[in-house]
This record gives sequence, C-alpha cells and structure tokens, in this order.
Amino acid sequence: MPQYQKPPSWKLEGGGQVMDLETFVKDGILGGGGIAGGGIPGAGEKLDLKKMIEELETVGEEIPTVFICPISLEPMVDPVTLCTGQTYERSNILKWFSMGHLTCPTTMQELWDDTVTPNHTLHHLIHTWFSQRYLRFKKRSEDVHGRAAELISALRNKVKGQARVQALKELQKLVFSHQSIKKTIADNGGIALLSSLLGPFTSHAVGSEAVAILVNLSLDSESKVVLMQPAKISLVVDMLNEGTIETKINCTRFIEILMGEKDFRHEILSSLSLLVGLLRLVKDRRHPTGIASGVGLLKKICSHKQVRNLVVSIGAVPQLVELLPNLNPDCLESALQILDDLASIPEGRAALKDCSQTIPNTVRLLMRVSESCTQYALSILSAVCKLAPEECASTAVEAGLAAKLLLVMQSGCNPDLKHRSAELLKLCSLNYTATLFISKCKLTRTIQ
Amino acid sequence: MLVILLESMGSFCSRPQSINKADAEENAQAAEIERRIAQETKAEQHIHKLLLLGAGESGKSTIFKQIKLLFQTGFDEAELRSYTPVIHANVYQTIKILYDGAKELAQNESSSSKYVISPDNKEVGEKLSEIGSRLDYPLLTKEIAQEIKKLWQDAAIQETCSCGNLLQVPDCAQYFMENLERLCEVDYVPTKEDVLYARVRTTGVVEIQFSPVGENRKSGEVYRLYDVGGQRNERRKWIHLFEGVTAIIFCAAISEYDQMLFEDETKNRMMETKELFDWVLKQSCFEKTSFMLFLNKFDIFEKKVQKVPLSVCEWFKDYQPTASGKQEVEHAYEFVKKKFEELYFQSSKPDRVDRVFKIYRTTALDQKLVKKTFKLVDETLRRRNLIEAGLL
Repeated sequence: MPQYQKPPSWKLEGGGQVMDLETFVKDGILGGGGIAGGGIPGAGEKLDLKKMIEELETVGEEIPTVFICPISLEPMVDPVTLCTGQTYERSNILKWFSMGHLTCPTTMQELWDDTVTPNHTLHHLIHTWFSQRYLRFKKRSEDVHGRAAELISALRNKVKGQARVQALKELQKLVFSHQSIKKTIADNGGIALLSSLLGPFTSHAVGSEAVAILVNLSLDSESKVVLMQPAKISLVVDMLNEGTIETKINCTRFIEILMGEKDFRHEILSSLSLLVGLLRLVKDRRHPTGIASGVGLLKKICSHKQVRNLVVSIGAVPQLVELLPNLNPDCLESALQILDDLASIPEGRAALKDCSQTIPNTVRLLMRVSESCTQYALSILSAVCKLAPEECASTAVEAGLAAKLLLVMQSGCNPDLKHRSAELLKLCSLNYTATLFISKCKLTRTIQ
Repeated sequence: MLVILLESMGSFCSRPQSINKADAEENAQAAEIERRIAQETKAEQHIHKLLLLGAGESGKSTIFKQIKLLFQTGFDEAELRSYTPVIHANVYQTIKILYDGAKELAQNESSSSKYVISPDNKEVGEKLSEIGSRLDYPLLTKEIAQEIKKLWQDAAIQETCSCGNLLQVPDCAQYFMENLERLCEVDYVPTKEDVLYARVRTTGVVEIQFSPVGENRKSGEVYRLYDVGGQRNERRKWIHLFEGVTAIIFCAAISEYDQMLFEDETKNRMMETKELFDWVLKQSCFEKTSFMLFLNKFDIFEKKVQKVPLSVCEWFKDYQPTASGKQEVEHAYEFVKKKFEELYFQSSKPDRVDRVFKIYRTTALDQKLVKKTFKLVDETLRRRNLIEAGLL
C-alpha cells in the first residue's frame, strides 16, 4: 500500500466538517481491503443507498459535509458535478436549471457549460461510508436483540441477588437505547416475567428496576390486569414512598398506565399510603419533574368521586394551596383542577375555607395564566364564598377580587365564565354599600 | 487518638524534667481508658436498636427465636433441652383449659350436650385438671401422655377446642397434642419447631445482638433486638427502652379478632391491639422511628376467616365478604391491612408523615418466611440510613 503522507486536512469553502483521512484509510473506505462499493452506480445500488441513508438517520451519526448536497442539505445519492467543479444532487440541480437558472448555486458563477457530470468518485465514497455504517448498525442491532433475549432467559432461570439486579439494569439501558427491543422483550415473554418478579417479597432494588422497564413497554390488557394484583400494587406504592426520584416517577407512571385500563379496580386508589406518597412527591421542591408527575396522577385520581374524601383527609388541600404560587403553568392548571374537584365535597370546601392562603392565592391567579386556570380559580372562590359569605367575601374583596372579576367580565373569555363572575361579584357586594364597593373595585363606572 | 491525647497532654504539662514516673504512667493509663471509651461509643452508634412490641401472644417472642435461629448460632442442645419443661407445662396447661372449658360450656351453653365429657374420661379429666392447677408439673411420662391423648380425642374436648376463642386456648394446642408420643419419650430433645411453638409469657426484657450477613458475605448492619412482655402489667417496663430506637417491629396477630384478652376477658384482643398501636404511634420519642408492622399468624387467619366473619370484631364491623375461598382470604387480609393503614395515618401527626411505615404479612412459625421478611426489613433500614446520610 503506497505510503500516504498525511496531507493538510481538506478545508472546504465556508469551513465544514473536516474529513479525517486517517480514519477513512483505516476504515478501508479509500480502498485497500475495505468493503467493496460499486463501480458505476446502477439503479439497484441507488435504491440501496437511499434505504441505508433513511435507516441511518435515526442513529444520528454526523455525515461528512462533502457528502451533503448544498441545495437540499441532504446526503447525495447521485452526485453530479458542474463545470465550476461544484457537486450537487442530480435531481436538485436539474430542478434548479428547469427554473431557468443557469448559474452555479454556490459560486454564483454563470455556467459556460450546462452539462452535468456524474461524480463516480464521490458516489463511491458515499456508498462505502454508508454501507459500512449500515452493516455496523445492523450487527449491533442484532447483537442488542440477542443480548436482550439472553438477559430475559437469564432472569427466567432465576438468577439471584446482585446478578439479577445487574441483568435488569442492563435490560433497561437496552430499552432506552434501542426502541426496537421493546418488541423483542414482548415476544420473549418478558412482560410476564417482569410482572412475576413483583411480589410481596421483592426487594426494592429488583422492584424498582422491573418497574422502570415495564413503564416503557406497551402492555396489553391481560398484563395490566395481572399487574393490578394487590401484592404488586402494594410494592409499587411502597417504592413510590421510598425510592429515588426516578423510581417515584416510574411508579407514578405505572399507576397511570393501569388506570387507563377499563377493568381498573378503583379500590386501588383508596390507599392512604399511595395518596400520602403522592402528596410528598408533589411537595418536593427539589424535583420539578416529580411535582409534575405527582400532580398529574393526583388530578386523575381526584376525578373519581369516591377517593376525594380520603385526599382531603390527608391534608392535601392546604398543602396544594400553599404550593400554587410556585408551580409552572401546566402543573398549576392541574393543581387548580384538583382543588376544584375537592371543592365539590363538603369536607373539601371546609378545608379550603380553613386554609388562610386559599383566597389570596386563587385571587392572584385570576386572569393571570390561562382561561382554564381562571375558570378553576373562580369555581374554587365561588365554592368558598358560598360556604361562608360574610368572612370569605370580605377577605376576597380585600385581596382585590372585585377588580379581577370585572376584568374577567370585560375580557374575551367564554360567556359562562362571565356569567359566573357576575354572580360572584354580586355575592361579594352584598355586604358593602354601593359606594364602598365601587371604591374596592377601583372603578369609575357604576355596576349593575 | 492516643497520639493526639499524649501530644495535648504534653503541652499542658509544663512541669520540669523531675515529673515522676508514676504520674506519667497514670496519665498514660487514663488516656488509654479514654480511648477505649471513645471507641466503644463510636461502635455503639452503629448499632441499630430494634424493639419488638405488641399485645400478649402476638408472636413477638417467636420472631425473637427465629432471629436467633437465623442469624446467631441457633440453639445448642443444652438450650433445646431447657425448653422441655416449658413444653410439658404447655401440654398440661392446654388439657386443663380444655377440660375445664368443656365442663363450663356443658353447664352454660344452650346446646350443652355436645360439651359433655364421656363418662370414662371424666376421672382422667379431673385428675389432669388438678395437675394443671399445680405450680410444678410432674414429668410427662408415657402413661400420662396416653391419658391425655385419650381425653384429647373425646368428642366434647374437640368441640370445645373449636370454640377456643371463648377460652384462653393457646395457639400451640393442636401442635403439641398431635405430637404427644414424641414429647413424652425418655430422651426427648425438643426440635427447633417445638421450641418455636413453646409458649412462655415473657416477663421483663430480653435482648440479642446480631448482624444479618449479606449474600456477598460482607458484614451487614449490626442490630440489637429487644423482646418484651406484651401483657398489660408488663407494658410499664417498655418505657425504659424507648430512647434511640431505630425501628419498632410491632406484632399484631390478625387471627385473634374473635378472642378476648388473657388479662381481661371482657376486652377483645384486636381492639386492644388497635389501642396499643395507636398509643405507640403517638409517643414523642418515636417521631423519627421506622415502623414495621407485622400482621402475624396469617396461617391461622387464613383458616378462621372462612368460618368466622371479620365483622364480629367491632373495628371490622363494616366488612363485606365478596367471594369465597382463597380470593376471600386475600380480600379479608387487604381489608385488615387497610384498617391498620388508616389507623397509622390518623394517629400520625403531619410532621411524622416522613417516617418509614411498612406492613408485612407474616407467619412467625415459618422460618423461610421470616427470613425473607427480615431481608426486606434490613433493606429498608439500610436505605433509610443512606437517605438520612444524604447519600441517596
């Protein structure tokens, strides 16, 4: 093999990714034992190349800039060169010509010769580069699928202790890096296996890994029903209370997934441990993702009437109210919805009234974030004020409720909302004389 | 540490060279003692204190024995033999309770005929009842064992045993009666199982120190386990143990929802357990203590719940059976578990919500089960340790 003096690296116009000559020699792309590419590109080869390019898109490897067509910024399947020496994808440059341009797109020079010459060399390079990567990807894929199957049979053969935890951890990593593994796992009976690992005597280490994998697989109805067994749910609830933040979030997702099943047993949700665990998750300021998860599940749970009582009994109301100022808009809407649902039962209303922060926090949120937030906040305020008109109405008005209600009524929101605002405003005004009330609204116009 | 002490001592002692040797030796000795004390205090801090609490006959001592068998050297022959008089005593006590109970039921119960002892067993019955009331029991010979066996097989006695909840029939009754032939042999050495069934009312406090060795043979945490008496008069001794407890293992025998207390036959045992658990939860010294609730005697619960409805206990009066067979057992167990959960959260102030609370289903007599359960307890406590140290 002729000795190459390493030439100065090719610098492209406008800078670009430098082609590493050494790597190309090593990979055999520049000949010398590398994988054979084609000579003259034929139609069959082009298709192959197109397919390879498509599949490799997901891998996200950086393609050398010289392979990219300057017009479409896509890798070239059929590179052709103009008289200026610039290379483009054939279809793109022909389209350029058909639009009446007779210039070179990158150099802007007028073309003295409109022929396009196929660039065999570049095509060969592109083809070889992609072929190599493609074969490597395919092999790794197979390896990965093989590895996944291996891990599953190892788990099935009851490997114990640390080895088991390690196998589960590796399986989890594979699922994350290769989406196609999910199917392999399902085909090899992996779901039933993981499900069987969850039981009353499962250690936290094993349980947390198994759940982490399960939430990323697509579970069919039958599997979900199996996963609803009390012993398994107990374990998941325990882990939700005690695990790391990732485990807690996974357990939350797990329960959400099961809730989507039509045969879901709602008694599962009446678990104080579950609700207390969720509330703890929601209060944990250090982990915003945890808060979002917790609030999401709590919202779904509170849509079931039977559980609302329990939620109130664990002191969720004051804790959620105190959280309101610190939540991001999505969580805020969910949190307000939860409080609104809780306001539908007497205990919930009482708890809202008893919490001193309810009125100031909800008034502040009117017309601040979104229409649905305003709607929920209004609903909560109505419930509280109707419960104890004298004390709550005055507190609310002092907090600036009246002015906000007027804003709502004047805004472009839906008529129902305006109507409810008017009602609430009327309720609040009952204890004030007209003049005093108007001053509270900071208005110049009279109100009906 | 010794070096530092000596150095600091050196800077204090600015006496001239005429410091006599005796003084120097004394100082060295004092330093050595200081060092030893410091070392031991440090070691003590790594010992986790576990407390077994619960009402009488809830299974605390059985768990204690199991831990001894699992993580210490178990019972040697001398210790096993020491249980022989206990086991024999259990036999005498049991048969007396049954015989006396049958007589009582024959007089009071409406369907009294089924409790009438057959005439040829009456004499034996009276004799055994008298023996059982003594302070010292005679040796269990083959002859006496035969007589006991005959009486045990009397229909009236069997009938009495089946309503054992009205009397104070110990849970080991069936087991010992069935093994009488073995128990009365001359060279009888109790087996491990016999020892686990043996019933002695614990009085005072017993402790063992152990280290559950992990599977990698790395040394695990060091635990010191305390067992106490559960009856009411024993509970005033508990308070002395309440400082610095890592975890409480609270044993509740869920099979006793239809039984009355030994020390107060008007009080339902489950209600007593409920109140006791509530009381323990509210103790200020347990603010940061982990609670492991062992719902014990599941094997007896399993059988009983299909015959005696849970609702006979006031605490469980809102129980509705749904299915039958194994499903019903599971359903009943989940109900009981939820009740205890409710009680825990009601009794725990909001600032205590962070303490660890886990419920385990146990059958203290089953060694494998206890081992598995304890593995989980150990894992939880170790995780708790790491979380508190900020490492998790």
